[in-house]
Amino acid sequence: MGTHENPNVPQIGTANKKGQIITAPEEIFFTSERTQAFLTGSEVIKEAVKRSSVDFSVAYPITPQSEASSLVGELYADGYVGDYMRGESEFAVMGQCAGAAFGGARVFTTTAGPGTLRAFENFPMWAGARLPIQVVFTVRGVNSPLTIQPDTLEIAFMLETGMLLWHAEDAQDLFDFMMKGYIVAELPEVHLPIGVICDGFFVTHTKDVVNMTPENVALPHYNPYANPTPVMDMETAPIRHMRDPFIMKSNYISYMTHASWQLEVKAAMERSRKMTRKLLNGLIEVENPDAEILLVSSGTAVSQSREAIRLFRDKGVKVGLVKIKTIRPFPKEEIREATKNAKYIFVPEFNVAGWMAREIASVVERNERVIAGPHVAGGMTMPPEVIVEEVERTIARMNKK
Amino acid sequence: MSKEKIVINPEFWDIIPQDYRDLVDHATYGKSDRGWKDVGSSTELIAEHSLCAGCPESIAFRHIMASIPAPEDTVMVGSTGCTSLVFPMVAVQNIHSLFGNQNAIATGLKRALAYRFPNQVKDVIVLAGDGATVDIGLDMTLQSWFRQEKFTTICFDNELYANTGGQESGLMQKGFVAKMAPQGKKFEKVRLPEIARESGCAYVAVLTTSKPSLVERVVKQAVLIAREIGPTYLQIYTPCILEIGKQSMEGLQEMRDSESAGERFKFREFITPEAQAFIDDMNAKKKADKLAASANN
Amino acid sequence: MKTRINVRMSGLGGQGVVTSAHILAMAASKENLFAISNPFFGAEKRMAPAEAYARIGPEKIYDRGELVFPDVVMVFHPQVITMGKSYTMPFFSGLKKNGIVIINDDIDLLSDAEKEGLANLNALVFYVPATKIAHEVAGTELATNMAMIGSLVGLTNVVSMNALDLALQDRFGKKYVASGGTATLDEAIKKKFAKKEMLLQKNLETIRQGFDRAVEFAKNAHYTPIMMA
Repeated sequence: MGTHENPNVPQIGTANKKGQIITAPEEIFFTSERTQAFLTGSEVIKEAVKRSSVDFSVAYPITPQSEASSLVGELYADGYVGDYMRGESEFAVMGQCAGAAFGGARVFTTTAGPGTLRAFENFPMWAGARLPIQVVFTVRGVNSPLTIQPDTLEIAFMLETGMLLWHAEDAQDLFDFMMKGYIVAELPEVHLPIGVICDGFFVTHTKDVVNMTPENVALPHYNPYANPTPVMDMETAPIRHMRDPFIMKSNYISYMTHASWQLEVKAAMERSRKMTRKLLNGLIEVENPDAEILLVSSGTAVSQSREAIRLFRDKGVKVGLVKIKTIRPFPKEEIREATKNAKYIFVPEFNVAGWMAREIASVVERNERVIAGPHVAGGMTMPPEVIVEEVERTIARMNKK
Repeated sequence: MSKEKIVINPEFWDIIPQDYRDLVDHATYGKSDRGWKDVGSSTELIAEHSLCAGCPESIAFRHIMASIPAPEDTVMVGSTGCTSLVFPMVAVQNIHSLFGNQNAIATGLKRALAYRFPNQVKDVIVLAGDGATVDIGLDMTLQSWFRQEKFTTICFDNELYANTGGQESGLMQKGFVAKMAPQGKKFEKVRLPEIARESGCAYVAVLTTSKPSLVERVVKQAVLIAREIGPTYLQIYTPCILEIGKQSMEGLQEMRDSESAGERFKFREFITPEAQAFIDDMNAKKKADKLAASANN
Repeated sequence: MKTRINVRMSGLGGQGVVTSAHILAMAASKENLFAISNPFFGAEKRMAPAEAYARIGPEKIYDRGELVFPDVVMVFHPQVITMGKSYTMPFFSGLKKNGIVIINDDIDLLSDAEKEGLANLNALVFYVPATKIAHEVAGTELATNMAMIGSLVGLTNVVSMNALDLALQDRFGKKYVASGGTATLDEAIKKKFAKKEMLLQKNLETIRQGFDRAVEFAKNAHYTPIMMA
């Protein structure tokens, strides 16, 4: 919104038109009094958007995010969101989001599965154009025949788009990640799009206890002029980029330009680690790191692992946990350190590909310790009993050899 | 944006490129009578281009840039194609993102600017080729019109994909033999102007860029109507001399030939009664102002 | 004493199965228990199989998704059994030993094989004519789910009637009051609010009926309701 130049934008300590007091992020996140609410993930998305001073949001129906994006529409009707519209397809929606972000707006949208893939061309464009758009991916299957069930395969496609990718374990994470996501994504030294991921249905449709920040307090508005690229609002000098544009050219300077820009996007992502560690209290969470057996994953697989660890505890077996909060940037140092004493690193996943296991195997030493599984896919649940059984069976088989 | 914002600290003046100095010295910001006659004497919005020598698109570009009513508050949206070779040299802010999504980008952009600057004019103009407008981006072109998004869409119609080497496009004439149409194109040129009218455009015009005064009139009209009333659409013939086998100096004649009576680019326009009333009102005011000015003199 | 009660509710679309799970979980959270509820994930369709799950316990619950190993299976519609309109076959698949089955009907629906399966699990089977109760007490079959919740609570004591009352107000009353404003409700809103109060009361009465029948059944069967640890 142009925090300093625009007199219409409420500053910290003053009220917005809905009476919410604009408050410093650290105060909202760490010192404001939280109240408990019992909500579905879809409702949590609404509550987070309500507190995030969002300027523009585009909606398009796709299960399991349709309810959430309709609820954002209610926020718009109530005056909490600047502008809101229904797009015509996910490809168009992400273009509309980009247009608004180019124009200096804080943008929110959400999609899932086939919608994510239909929109796909936009994501690396967003990163390259340094647009700090937030999209919540309520992940679901992308296979044929048609499925609407939870499945994390689509995240694998997103890994190299240049977007920050944070994976919420539950509704609480979703609430916190969404608000904190804007703060990290909009840092001038980061300024990248962020995908906040939650597992469709497991989070969106599940009612859970969430500790909410006060309703009458909202994040400071986005300042588009703290931006590594010019805002497209004709309020700064229009600069001619170059005499001989490097687009669609085949020469060394053109290759260099593109390569260095890609490296800069990578570097911006690296620079996001510092503030993310601070706001999320680390890129990973570790439990029982000394255990021989570790369960390492993200999202709902973490929740199911926590239950499995209890079942193991009842059997007298100590099992540890590494919860990965940020998939991009990937917490390689942290994971390497947390897993260094483990004998078995199991990676439970809700997809058939086992992409998280590959990611982990690519950063840990002696990576024959990484065991991809248990896997479920296509919407199947991963009962903790199944994790226990699979871990026990796998270890027995390995010991037989 | 006021011109003060682009002025450079005098200490840096000597190292500032000529293009930028031209912008500071000559930019016709806040000048209501800017127009095609400024082309030649004033090159601050577009000087050079990297299109083929004699390309009618470069002429169209110059006439359009000279005619937009408020360059100081105009953001342009392009798409992939030959136009994306020109935009980096245009001195109004402009966006290139992907191929075909230009009307989606413009939708979000226009809404963001309207929300951020509620009391200020901020014009958005889409300028893209026929492949972007009619083929790959047709969905987003039409949907922005259905939704009555308040910006202008300009299609540079060269009746083929020029930048990739002359492939068939939806706006190509039936029977034309091109790459990907080895036996000649098998269906009619898409009637996008008529579709635009039915889709809710308040103003539609079809023309070539052979007559600069005409380009000036329709561009001004299209941008002002889009600002106040609703979406507008211009389809301008910018023949690809390379792909239709013409010489650099033959572009103008090609345009003249194609706009004669009965030809496909014979000038035609459509305007809704509401938009017409707005234009009449504006012209009446202008006339009154002129009379008042001459009376004072 | 249990540290977790897992309830699987199987019925047909439109019967309020999802609402039941939400109300039960909400009531549990009113009791300062931990609870999670979620529906089975499919497109919404009337009369198609619908399932919802509630997990309740004294420690934080992480487990989510389809409930594979329930302590209680609630059958909201006879077709769940007679036409196989459930997501798992048989309908009690995964039921834990000494589990509970609550069926909305007053005639025996079980095949010999199903009876044998349930006997092997030492399951308690309770028939309650929930739809009939709903008609009699609330005047609408839409309250079937209330009678079912009452029966569950009667057999398990998983939450109190007071907590259910609070949860009902949350579900059917609270949002309305909030959007109308707390200070100045105009006449029209007052009128609607009165209707809402009646809805809450009828629902509570239906729950009470289901509860009483379950308590009586437990007494006759010398069954001690499951208590939470």
